[in-house]
Amino acid sequence: MSPDMAYFKDAGEVYATIGKLFEDLADDEELSPKFQKANTIVQYQYRDPESRITVKLIEGEDGQVDCGETAMEPEVVMTMDADTAHRFWLGKVNVTVALARGQMKAKGPVAKILKLVPLVKPVFPRYKKQLEEQGRQDLLEAA
Amino acid sequence: MTPFKDFYQYAESTRVIAGRDLLGSAGFEFQKEGARSVFVVTDEIIRGTGLVERVEAGVTDGGLEVAGVFDGVPQDSSTDVVERCAEAAKEAGADSFLAVGGGSVMDTAKVADAVFTHGGGAAEQEGFFLMPREDDGMGMPLPIAPLACIPTTAGTGSEVSMAAVIKDPERKVKLEIADFPLFPRLAILDPDSTRTLPASVAAATGMDAVTHAIEGYVSTEWSPHQDARSLQALRMIRDNLERAVQRGEEDEDARGNMLVAANLAITISLGSVHAMSHPAGAQFGVPHGVANAIHLPHVIEHNAAGGPEIADRYRDVADIFDVSEPEVGPALAAHLTRLIERLGLPTRLSQVGVPEEGIPALVEGAMGDGTTLLNPREMGEEDYTELYKRAL
Repeated sequence: MSPDMAYFKDAGEVYATIGKLFEDLADDEELSPKFQKANTIVQYQYRDPESRITVKLIEGEDGQVDCGETAMEPEVVMTMDADTAHRFWLGKVNVTVALARGQMKAKGPVAKILKLVPLVKPVFPRYKKQLEEQGRQDLLEAA
Repeated sequence: MTPFKDFYQYAESTRVIAGRDLLGSAGFEFQKEGARSVFVVTDEIIRGTGLVERVEAGVTDGGLEVAGVFDGVPQDSSTDVVERCAEAAKEAGADSFLAVGGGSVMDTAKVADAVFTHGGGAAEQEGFFLMPREDDGMGMPLPIAPLACIPTTAGTGSEVSMAAVIKDPERKVKLEIADFPLFPRLAILDPDSTRTLPASVAAATGMDAVTHAIEGYVSTEWSPHQDARSLQALRMIRDNLERAVQRGEEDEDARGNMLVAANLAITISLGSVHAMSHPAGAQFGVPHGVANAIHLPHVIEHNAAGGPEIADRYRDVADIFDVSEPEVGPALAAHLTRLIERLGLPTRLSQVGVPEEGIPALVEGAMGDGTTLLNPREMGEEDYTELYKRAL
């Protein structure tokens, strides 16, 4: 893969990989309640390819993940390249550095999301395993 | 050997002038930064000392106009104060801001300047590196109106930082805003501006500078650039803080050196002391420097037990204070606790009105504070609960 080439060829690939990860996490009985302590709705707006995933993290309510269009009103909006998101979920992005360099931008009450950062470490091997099961070894090698 | 870091970023774009009798040349210096019609931001106490009048005279002596004075900044400024300040500057026809005060005044002026220049509300400015930029948000940040600062405390370092912290009274949180345009264009460090500083405020703000220097040095985002500043700041604090607090008005050298030390110590790469102090201020009104003084020894002891690399960083700090015991965490914490006691500051949260039942909300605030991610030892809810209990 050339350095200029994005990892994902279209929004559908983003939803099938990162979107699926969010959906699985929303159904996880152990992790979901921890993430819901954020008490917010966060939207991830990705570039290259243009795509968006909106996630409801509200205590005591069922999780909801919308890939693409949504009726949910996000409180926090995080913007980044889809490649950065992919590398983040593989544990290869330092959030503080990414924020400092402008590779990730967070708008809204950022504190609600920052307190989740220490919780996501167990998700990294899970994303890797999911990609392996999906036969997306190419994404693992590219990152 | 110190490793070469994978990445770090260091920026400093504020022109600093330090020395004696500089207030009279405030206008002469500020015109070099493009100011013509200056809006002065301060608080009632500072204005009552006569300092603001002297600064105003310095502004007009330099051929500039004082468009107006806003003296309504409280100890912990908030979003509504910022918006009133920006509105007043617009009504006065100002083209620049001059902050004369401590951290709250300078941070108010920074965020008011951003609102004045770009519009929107104060809360909308929240975030890291989110100010308007060219090229659809990816290019050069757009400048804000010229801003100069004359600090009247030696601690916050806000006069040379790109960060501001403002309370959001509705959400009971402190909003953190950081981006390059918030670097003031000019900082004037003149010990005359801290001549009437009460000893208790000099002590608390001095401990804020101590905390910046130590947290900046041990942070995960340490850098060789900041190391040089942090360690020199600590040497100057060691030699001048107690003198400045105890001798106050009589010791212009100590006060001047503390202004420089605070200026060197500031960084946005902080850690769990600040993560704990921000909610203590937002929820219980604990003054920032006091909160830092209370939390600092506990966080040092906790962090230094996190591994030899972290302990080594604290050992560099301990060397400056001639603390050489093998267990650096407890030894440095004890040394600083004795310093805090000599400065006459509280050492427990219960002394400043924080109840035990307030701890869960404080823990939640600390976990959501951006500085938690920069602490050298990874922090969880249990860690913060334990640290707040120890500090109670």
